[in-house]
Amino acid sequence: MKSYRKYQKYQKVFSVLVALLTVGLLLSGCSSTPTANNVSNANASTQPVDGGTLTVSSFSDIVTLNPLFIQDTASQDAATFLFANVYDLDRQGNLVVEPWSLAKELPQISADGKTYTVKLKDTAKWSDGQPVTADDLIYTINTIRNPKVGSPGISGYDKVASVKKVNEYTVQVTLKQVYAPFKYYLAAAVVPYHILKDVKAKDLQNNVYGKDPAKTVTDGPWKWSEWKEKQYLSFTRDPNYWGPKPHIAKVIYKIYADQNTEVQALIKGDVDLNTGLPVTALSAVKQKKDIRVILAPGPLYEYLAFNFKPQNFPGNFDPFLGQKTRQAIAYALNRQGMVNDILKGTGRIMNSPFLPGSWADPGSAAVNYPYDPAKAKELLKEDGWTPGPGGILQKDGHRFSFELQFNAGNSRREAVAVVIQQELKNVGIDVKPKAIDFSSWIDQNVNPGKFEALLLAWSLTNPDPDQESIFSSKYFPPAGQNNIWYKNPKLDALWVKGYSTNDQNQRKKIYAEIAKEISTDLPYVFLYQYGTPEGLGPRVHFEQKDRPAPSLAEGYFYHIQNWWVTGK
Amino acid sequence: MREYFLRRLLQSLLVLFLVSLVTFALIHSAPGGPVRIYLTPGLSQEAAKVQAHNLGLDQPIPIQYVRWLGDLLQGNFGYTFKNHIPVAKILWPTVGNTLILMGVAWFLSLIIAIPWGIYNSTREYCLSDQTAAVISYLGFAMPTFWFGILLQELFSLKLNWLPLSDMYTMGQARNILNLLPHLVLPVTVLTLGFLAAYVKYSRSSMLEVLFQDYIRTARAKGMPERRVVFRHALRNALIPIITVLGLDLPILVGGAALTESVFNWPGMGRLFVEMAMAREYSVLMAITLLTAVIVILGNFLADILYAIVDPRVQLAGRGGRSV
Repeated sequence: MKSYRKYQKYQKVFSVLVALLTVGLLLSGCSSTPTANNVSNANASTQPVDGGTLTVSSFSDIVTLNPLFIQDTASQDAATFLFANVYDLDRQGNLVVEPWSLAKELPQISADGKTYTVKLKDTAKWSDGQPVTADDLIYTINTIRNPKVGSPGISGYDKVASVKKVNEYTVQVTLKQVYAPFKYYLAAAVVPYHILKDVKAKDLQNNVYGKDPAKTVTDGPWKWSEWKEKQYLSFTRDPNYWGPKPHIAKVIYKIYADQNTEVQALIKGDVDLNTGLPVTALSAVKQKKDIRVILAPGPLYEYLAFNFKPQNFPGNFDPFLGQKTRQAIAYALNRQGMVNDILKGTGRIMNSPFLPGSWADPGSAAVNYPYDPAKAKELLKEDGWTPGPGGILQKDGHRFSFELQFNAGNSRREAVAVVIQQELKNVGIDVKPKAIDFSSWIDQNVNPGKFEALLLAWSLTNPDPDQESIFSSKYFPPAGQNNIWYKNPKLDALWVKGYSTNDQNQRKKIYAEIAKEISTDLPYVFLYQYGTPEGLGPRVHFEQKDRPAPSLAEGYFYHIQNWWVTGK
Repeated sequence: MREYFLRRLLQSLLVLFLVSLVTFALIHSAPGGPVRIYLTPGLSQEAAKVQAHNLGLDQPIPIQYVRWLGDLLQGNFGYTFKNHIPVAKILWPTVGNTLILMGVAWFLSLIIAIPWGIYNSTREYCLSDQTAAVISYLGFAMPTFWFGILLQELFSLKLNWLPLSDMYTMGQARNILNLLPHLVLPVTVLTLGFLAAYVKYSRSSMLEVLFQDYIRTARAKGMPERRVVFRHALRNALIPIITVLGLDLPILVGGAALTESVFNWPGMGRLFVEMAMAREYSVLMAITLLTAVIVILGNFLADILYAIVDPRVQLAGRGGRSV
């Protein structure tokens, strides 16, 4: 479901897969305040008009539009047009019921915090005319939970104890324990029970549902009319759609093999919406006055990760074990410089794993490490590092030298890696940047936790701040995503505490505590939140309240039901 | 002649088999498999196993190979790993698209390059020859994608005469009138590349022949120059050109990944690159095999053409073997 996807748009092909990593994550964060100030409705057509075609460009083709198996951005983007969600999110990342949401009202959570009662509208219909009912929601949850299915969403559902049908439109989900992030699992699509009920669990993945437009029954404003592999998908307004009729009659989801061509197509007007402009193309795009660019940071953050397992280092000597050493590295890096020079303003410094502006944003509770090479040198000295040959520090006969891995073809990371190399060299640390082909890297280094240091990002696909599966010692590979082998008992306990209450004020305090501890202990140097600039052509219009919400996943299509297109 | 064909056919099959075996082994030994790419890091080991099993990827590689071969013999290229779409459904349209693009460019460059090369060989260092030399340098030296971008900037964005990319304009009938304007820019880029080589080849191989003794003899006995060039010189000069063309034939199908990407042409070159990155083994295998078939076919065609243009060449069967 929604929280499982890879972030797949930025930069060249491989940068892309960053998000493989993100997937499976109950990651959090991003209800930051709307910052899209530069989006005004330039050549405003103030009255919405019906009809017309919106062309959205993409750098990759979809894999499947079956919500049970979606885990890449392209598929998730395309599914946005076709499927209604049980709940939707507002700009701040709160759960809401929109006219196009399947639910009738917000979920009622029982006094013990474990049972969620979901009431569905009795008006929602599938594109084949069948009603959307409790059976669909129950089937969806139980299918994702079924280990024989192989749904990438499964890991989040291990906390579900039972799913009960109360009546035709009411479902009760009971959890084994209080688990606050669960409500975001309900901000997701359902699949049609009446279509899939006879498909065996192990055959679901290979079923035509989600691949053959004619056989993919949906419940959203648009229907899937065509898929030309590697070329385009088209969605047409469903005349029998149960919700408020969208203005846009047809959506083309067009696939480009080359990012430069994709940008040119926006400039020329072949494309109306580009969800991930490369930072390098911004100046060219901005020259076209009628193209609006939204430059806000998105739900993504980049980090420098240290490995805590000595076996990964030559001579079993892990140079990162000293807390002061890690802090020194944070002081030695000019993160603001990276944001200014490499991200060209599409980023913001982070000091903890919680996005600035989100409700869990710890503010000054997290330790900030300003650029201070002198302080860095001092801390390194305190931690027992002494000057060695060639200006490189040493300790117990070991040089302070490490390999920094990142994925080849990602120009942002290539640039940042070089900056890190230079800035750490200034304080006596030798960094060897190493770019590796993404797929083999994930397979051989990232997942099994075999590396010295990483430069990578997390894409936060739902607005909950819980990140236990990355930082808790319960989640060492191969079972979890704590691939840096980081163990901090205090944090382990805090993460559990953080999701074990539904009281947001209480949670806010716990995450502030986590932020303080994690920014002091620094398993990662949190670098910055960054974004993928969105480009909008002159034909696209929306009211201010419906403008894109870059801080949300798929926020570039925020309230697209209310948008309209003009001309051509 | 029949014996020759038969022998060639058997050889070809053996080559194809070996190609498939080696490619399969190589592809599967590359780090990072489709399961890994597909699976989410957060998935439990159990779920990962379930997916691999559902996809048939938990079998030993030799068994996977035998299965793949069995499917192939029944005309089935298999399915993509990620989403179980028949490979044939993805592959064949791109073959057609590439053939259109490359075929037009190739044909154009041949009908320009060969006569031009011949003409230039008879008038060395004249203006036409110099022009051809400059074009060759450009064609060799200029990266195709860069030239493509230049053309796009000028003819599509600035002048707005031609479409920027794609094979057809969206929302319009997919017919030849829609196709033609889309062909102009990529064909120009590709033609320049081909032209660069072919003009040079035909010119130099003509030059080589024109200084042979038998040409002097022909001239000495008072034969008109036109007849000398076309009747005596050209036939011999064509032999090395045919070799080059035969070797180039696979490009027609293999496509030009960069040009196809820049012009967003849904062809096979682009598909191959994308599939390699996605580790879609079955698609890669199908493309490799297809390319191998064309390579073999190209060589075979070249052999036959030798026999046609050069009477001295006899295809084995009766007596000597001169191939």
